[in-house]
Amino acid sequence: MAYEQIKVKTPLILRLLPILSIVLFFGTWQMVVDLEIVPSTMMASPIQIFQLFLVKWTEVNPDGALLSQHIWTSVQEAFTGYLLALLVGIPLGLAMGWFVVVEGLSRPIFEMIRPIPPVAWIPLVIFWFGIGISGKIFIIWIGGIVPCVINSYEGVRMTNPTLIQMARTYGATDWQIFKQICVPSALPMVFGALQIALACCWTNLVAAELLAADVGLGFLITMGRKLALPDMVLLGMIMLGLTGVVIGVVINYFEKRLLAGIRR
Amino acid sequence: MREERHSNPVKIVCEDITKVFIQKGKQRVHVLDHISLDVQENEFVVILGPGQSGKSTLLRIIAGLETPTEGHVLIDGQEVEGPGPERGLVFQGYMLFAWKTVMGNVEMGPKLRGVPKKERREIAAHYIHLVGLDGFEKHYPHQLSGGMKQRVGIARAYANNPKVMLLDEPFGQLDAQTRYFMEKETARIWETEKRTILFVTNNIDEAIYLADRIVTLEGKLPGRMHVAYRVDLPRPREHTDMAFLKLRHEITEASELTL
Amino acid sequence: MVDIANEIKQQVQERRPLTPALILGNRWFLYAISMLAFFLVWDRAAVARVFSSGLPRPYEVVLQLWSMMFDPLAGKSLLGHVWASTQRILIGFTIASLVAVPLGLMMALNRYVNAIVKPLFDLLKPMPPLAWISIAILWFGIGETSKVFIIIIGTFVPCLLDAYNGVRLVEPELYDVIRMLGGKRRHEIIQVCFPAAFPAIFAGLQIALSIAWSCVLAAELVSARSGLGFIIIRGMNLSRPAMIVGGMVVIAIVAWGMSQLVSGLERLVCPWKREIDGR
Repeated sequence: MAYEQIKVKTPLILRLLPILSIVLFFGTWQMVVDLEIVPSTMMASPIQIFQLFLVKWTEVNPDGALLSQHIWTSVQEAFTGYLLALLVGIPLGLAMGWFVVVEGLSRPIFEMIRPIPPVAWIPLVIFWFGIGISGKIFIIWIGGIVPCVINSYEGVRMTNPTLIQMARTYGATDWQIFKQICVPSALPMVFGALQIALACCWTNLVAAELLAADVGLGFLITMGRKLALPDMVLLGMIMLGLTGVVIGVVINYFEKRLLAGIRR
Repeated sequence: MREERHSNPVKIVCEDITKVFIQKGKQRVHVLDHISLDVQENEFVVILGPGQSGKSTLLRIIAGLETPTEGHVLIDGQEVEGPGPERGLVFQGYMLFAWKTVMGNVEMGPKLRGVPKKERREIAAHYIHLVGLDGFEKHYPHQLSGGMKQRVGIARAYANNPKVMLLDEPFGQLDAQTRYFMEKETARIWETEKRTILFVTNNIDEAIYLADRIVTLEGKLPGRMHVAYRVDLPRPREHTDMAFLKLRHEITEASELTL
Repeated sequence: MVDIANEIKQQVQERRPLTPALILGNRWFLYAISMLAFFLVWDRAAVARVFSSGLPRPYEVVLQLWSMMFDPLAGKSLLGHVWASTQRILIGFTIASLVAVPLGLMMALNRYVNAIVKPLFDLLKPMPPLAWISIAILWFGIGETSKVFIIIIGTFVPCLLDAYNGVRLVEPELYDVIRMLGGKRRHEIIQVCFPAAFPAIFAGLQIALSIAWSCVLAAELVSARSGLGFIIIRGMNLSRPAMIVGGMVVIAIVAWGMSQLVSGLERLVCPWKREIDGR
């Protein structure tokens, strides 16, 4: 056992460095643009982005929608795909882990679909569904379903075999064991899947929107590029990042509350 | 309680060792309180105590991995100031380098000292033979059993020709039978290549089997010296010997008083 | 005692009768049925124009792939396109890891480096790599540079995180061992830190690889003249679903192949890690 002597004070410089680092970063960025080191068609400064941010709450041009509409559409698409992925993926994964029939029938199909990056589905989806919301949700769904299935499957496979044997000595049926032992035991892995699937869904949302949309944060980015407005592109990127973080925090909050009750 | 010493020179001297840890939240944990201990050359001393009595900390201080809050440790008259190969330490959790073979592990010490390849191979081979692992030089730790891994640990520490060997509950993670085997092996290794040994354990049988002298610590923090016993039984010892059992009884009774 | 042994032997040797239930319950049988059904349904759906000629029949896909091997599409054979995409991934990934891994190691080993870099890293991490495509095109045009750039951005984060975590997860007592054997600080790093962190670095490789595939394909979908992403977007533009599906099949095979390669590499370099995982 190694005991650690905990230092009571962090040196002042260690606490200042992060702040300095960030300030330096933004400062350099701002200067680079102000001094025209990089042409204004290629880069926008933090201040310019912030100005656009303020403007876009009320100004529809030049991309055709308010910032709030973009955010809302993106979030809607992502969440729908995400929830559908959870609804299909988790029960499927859980069942695959326990029932041989389910695994036997679904596994080959799953293993064939799995190596295909969701991005690769985009042309086919456009070909089938056109540029519409259902196509985008499909891509997000495909992207999110894989981690859900895998994690749920692994969760069930990791059930303590002693518990299963114990249940059998009590004469429990397969279904009862599944419901009472395997599923609760797999819950931590399932919750892990929630976060992973969310990250996957958010990334694939970007992909789907970059190509086929008329509103949404991804569309905002593409429009910015087509109109050679770097501040729009960067605003879209930053909003994507921010929104992703916020959603992650929200999910985390719900996960903690749910798990607090279930945790052994 | 100190017994008479033989006329061997004193190897390790611990004077008034006190150790206080500051844990998070500024809580002070008093782990050792004025421990004084003399160990003679080639003596096999066992530090015996139940869990959480500070004995591992004492060993780490002697090894040089921790510094005492008060007091100091002298080995051959020189103060211990940091870790080093003159004190060979065998860890409870084996702590082998998983990415190196048995040979690679054992020769690590000489390698760090710049010993040329041929020579250090010979040194390592000698000690691998000493612990009885001939033929396993090219094996990786994950291919070995617990007892074998610990033997590698012993060989690795021995390969630096240390002045003293320090063993920190080395057999704690082994099953009972392997443990008996390793105790016998340890006695054999010590007889073959005599060294001053400080051995920490919580197992009374193990202590009596191996030690020339047993030093017990009280069973609660801060660790204080309790009773010392001289074990004069002839080697190799038998767990079922009358004298063995008498001593065992004595130690068990004494230690129950402190828990 | 001997009787019991004989009894057990008998039970084991008894043949279990071949009931329908036994066959239906057998995993491999189910796999076979599943795959058969999959292709059958696919074929029938294609013929029945479920997606109104948007779904090619399986053999059409095979034919298309076969012809692409020899008839160049936009100047490259099928293998040429495979190599184009793979090449971008390799270049981007190499550059990213050459920067990210040492940086991650330094961040984990030195508090000051950590204090400077971590806040910037946390700031940039939440942005999905694909979001960088547009800005990359704005900066570098539609050539190779912008594609490789995206891959670098995409693989940078997992590489750095792995190196960082790899170091932090090393058992601290291993450093004690090295010090007891006479090693100094530099020995701690070279002899213990690096090798012990290797398995974690490899674990992240797989993730980085799948991210890299997403990046390269997305970049190729937006603007490219070669590569696997190019094939499928071309198929879409030419209204040739066989090309689209064929491209997807090739993507799946190549991505899977590379993933297996990385697994194999990991087994070669870190044989002990598998044991700890228990696989």
